[in-house]
Amino acid sequence: MTRRARVLVAAWLLLLGACGLWLYRNLTLTTDLSAFLPPSATPAQRILLGQLRDGAASRLVLIGLEGGSEDTLARASSEIAHRLVASGLFAYVSNGAAGANRRDQAVLFEHRYLLSPAVGPERFSVRGLEAALAETYRLLGTSAGVLVRATLPADPTGEMAQVLRQLVPEGVPDTRRGVWFSRDGGRALLVAQSRAPAFDADAQRRVVRTIEQAYAATRPAAGRVLLAGPGVFAANIRATVDSDVWRLSLLGAALVLAILYAAYRSAAILAVSFIPVATGLVVGVTAVGLGFDELQGITLGFGVTLLGEAVDYPTYLLMQARPGEALGEALARIAPTLRLAVLTTVLGALAMALSSFAGLAQLGVFTVAGVAAAGLATRWLVPAVLSVRPGSLAAGKGLAWLDRLAGAARRARWPAAALVLGALALVAWRHDRLWDDDLSSLTPVSASDKQLDRELRAQLGAPSLRYLLVARGASREAALQASESMAAWLGGAVRRGWLSGFDVPSTYLPSERTQEARRAALPERSVLAARLGSALRDSPFRAGAFAPFLDDVARARSGPLLDMRDLGGTAIAFKVDSLLVRNEDGWNALAMLHAVSAPAELAKKASAQGDEFIDLKAESNALVGTYKNQALRYIALGLACITALLAFALGSLRRAARVVAPTLAAVTIDVGLLLLLGKKLSLFNLVALLLVVGVGLNYALFFARRHVDDEDKRRAQRSVVVCAGTTLSAFGCLALSRIPVLHEIGVTVALGAVLSLLCAAAFAARPE
Amino acid sequence: MLAAGLLSVAVAAPRLDASRLMQTLAGVRSASASFVETRYSPLLKSPLVSHGTLSYRRPDRLEKIVVSPHQERIALHGDRLTIDSPPAGRREISLDAGTSGIATLIEAVRATRAGDLARLERDFDVVVSGTLDDWQLRLKPRAADVGQYVSAVGVWGSGPRLQRVEVWEASGDRTVMEIDEATD
Repeated sequence: MTRRARVLVAAWLLLLGACGLWLYRNLTLTTDLSAFLPPSATPAQRILLGQLRDGAASRLVLIGLEGGSEDTLARASSEIAHRLVASGLFAYVSNGAAGANRRDQAVLFEHRYLLSPAVGPERFSVRGLEAALAETYRLLGTSAGVLVRATLPADPTGEMAQVLRQLVPEGVPDTRRGVWFSRDGGRALLVAQSRAPAFDADAQRRVVRTIEQAYAATRPAAGRVLLAGPGVFAANIRATVDSDVWRLSLLGAALVLAILYAAYRSAAILAVSFIPVATGLVVGVTAVGLGFDELQGITLGFGVTLLGEAVDYPTYLLMQARPGEALGEALARIAPTLRLAVLTTVLGALAMALSSFAGLAQLGVFTVAGVAAAGLATRWLVPAVLSVRPGSLAAGKGLAWLDRLAGAARRARWPAAALVLGALALVAWRHDRLWDDDLSSLTPVSASDKQLDRELRAQLGAPSLRYLLVARGASREAALQASESMAAWLGGAVRRGWLSGFDVPSTYLPSERTQEARRAALPERSVLAARLGSALRDSPFRAGAFAPFLDDVARARSGPLLDMRDLGGTAIAFKVDSLLVRNEDGWNALAMLHAVSAPAELAKKASAQGDEFIDLKAESNALVGTYKNQALRYIALGLACITALLAFALGSLRRAARVVAPTLAAVTIDVGLLLLLGKKLSLFNLVALLLVVGVGLNYALFFARRHVDDEDKRRAQRSVVVCAGTTLSAFGCLALSRIPVLHEIGVTVALGAVLSLLCAAAFAARPE
Repeated sequence: MLAAGLLSVAVAAPRLDASRLMQTLAGVRSASASFVETRYSPLLKSPLVSHGTLSYRRPDRLEKIVVSPHQERIALHGDRLTIDSPPAGRREISLDAGTSGIATLIEAVRATRAGDLARLERDFDVVVSGTLDDWQLRLKPRAADVGQYVSAVGVWGSGPRLQRVEVWEASGDRTVMEIDEATD
């Protein structure tokens, strides 16, 4: 190694070390999607993301137990509920058993006069008391008499029943042997709410494991435990990713290594050839970390995809060196082309980096920094550290087929042109059905999981995740008041059959205004006693039977209002916390909706009432759509810049066109083939196509490069074929994935690599 | 007091074999009856009386229809308990604890009517006494959820026929259902 090389390597190690240290200290990787919110995001979209992140509904775990007698299942249900509560992983666990809610019931009973919607001045007039007593007497004569009687002396007006009536939504599961069961009795049901948010896949895996262990501990003879909910799916996906992605990535890496080893026949060269991409990765992540507060998980995923191009840089250098030629000499020939290969990508990504849209900007910065670093490493570092002289490939006679392949592609000009025209026609014909902004079509959740989720949700009467109503207020109190007016019109909507029920925070924690009004409606003890006396005169109840009632009303009358502290530790507190959320727009009262059947009517009524109806699916799709449109705009801008750069560097617009046209042709055919395969394009295809543009430009550049002789040209062709081969193997493996996103990216890039090679050979190569 | 009463009966009469009583009861295919139910409560000026009909079909169908003073229909078929009590509907009593409490009381009558000792013993501690012509069952709820409402249930009968069901509530109230039954 020369002195200069030693300095270079030392500088490189220093840079990597500094980056590593900085990353170790400062990097926060987040899966919070808010960086992907456009600056113009609506409050609804912000709430949507908050809800997806850690909303109450997203933390729901739905549990079903199957197989075994009713008795066995009921016992297992209780045992599992106990274990889950004890695990501390859950904010709330319920299997319908009364005992579990006893504390909740006690809190509700204690504050019934502040919570009951029936409380008003009329309720405690002589007439009101007479009516309430008559109703209570009627109930005493029914099958519910035994329950009514238990609290009769303290609650003759039945306020507790009024409170419970609002809490119990329609369609709660059947109770058998004291716990929830499906209608047919074959499945015991539980519902739990994890403390960890749904997106925290590691925590959700712990949640799933805990439930499975609790189930196993009941020593089930035969049967199974069924789990559903967003968190469970996140955990399942993570498990698939672990098995699927690692297996496929290893397979892809093995293939790439095999190809490169066949090309270089040297482990040392092989090792060195990975220096640029590794350097690019570290520098790219560090650049994003320096420029932004957090690194987005998606940026990393997309960025690594785009950085796939950098694997090719050393290939171009190493493959084009003549046998025995020092890399420095080879560089003299190919450096201008390699520089353009790097610069085109940097320029394309630079446009994105300037986006005001944080998500795109991150991706742009990552790519600019990563690709530039990989290019510099290829230019300076690889020749410095590689003392072995490459070029053994040239001796390999077995590689003549590579030349024939390139030659065949070169003659495919007309078929390729026909393909482009065909693809253009297809794209034009399908122009209105080109894009698929529906995120759910790309969700890795399996169809059977989705079905199970629907089934358990229906059986448990759990709220749908799709629709949400929001009432806003500047303060907590204002939001609670808004929640009360929302509940009022929602009650009418339930009677009209638009939905089966709803959950709003003001049911559990009425606004202070409402509580004060209720408290003010409670008469003084002596007044109430006198009125009760009159009401009892002609009633079937004995006078003097209701002293506890007089005590409780007196206590409520002089007592404080109900607040969160009173609810502490109950499932109710958790409900209020999750339904009353604060964000930068103020306080939001959310209504969870059960079994919505008329979303359009609800939306109309909501806007008339000044509340916001959110269709989570529509909102998230709109979000993806915005991101995609922004990305398209910056890609177009990037392409214009690239063309200008090429025209300047190559000396003419015609030469620039010879590089850009094959790339666009390849992308067009790629899109056409995807459409032929019955696919629609998504954001993920778009990112994959960006990579296709990146590698395609390189292929075209090296085909179009001025070659000193036939040998030089052959080597250039071979290097491009090897690059296309590695890209095809790596992404072809991804195409085998069961995860839709990876499959899409894999198919798009694998096709794109082959097509780019074909088009570059057909259109970019200098005539023979 | 109740225990003492039952005990004295048990001492006075020859011991009745539970399985034999159950066999006799299980021989009944269907039964229908009119009933009068009376709630004795310290809170009430006078006992609350309701009446209606009971009908049973082997193996697991029991229906109780109250016609006065208010209409109500309670049906237990298999594992499904349906309560229709206009104008309130069933929602009024679907308190979590409540449903199981009410269901247990209905089950006490049905399982006795069906002669299903295993079922009875699942929900209650069962004591059988008397003779086949004049028998008594004393049922003490096993589940705490039910126990907070119901202290004990007594069933009286003669041969295959049920005659009286008494429920001692934890609140201190007592309900007595007198049954005039025809069996088939």
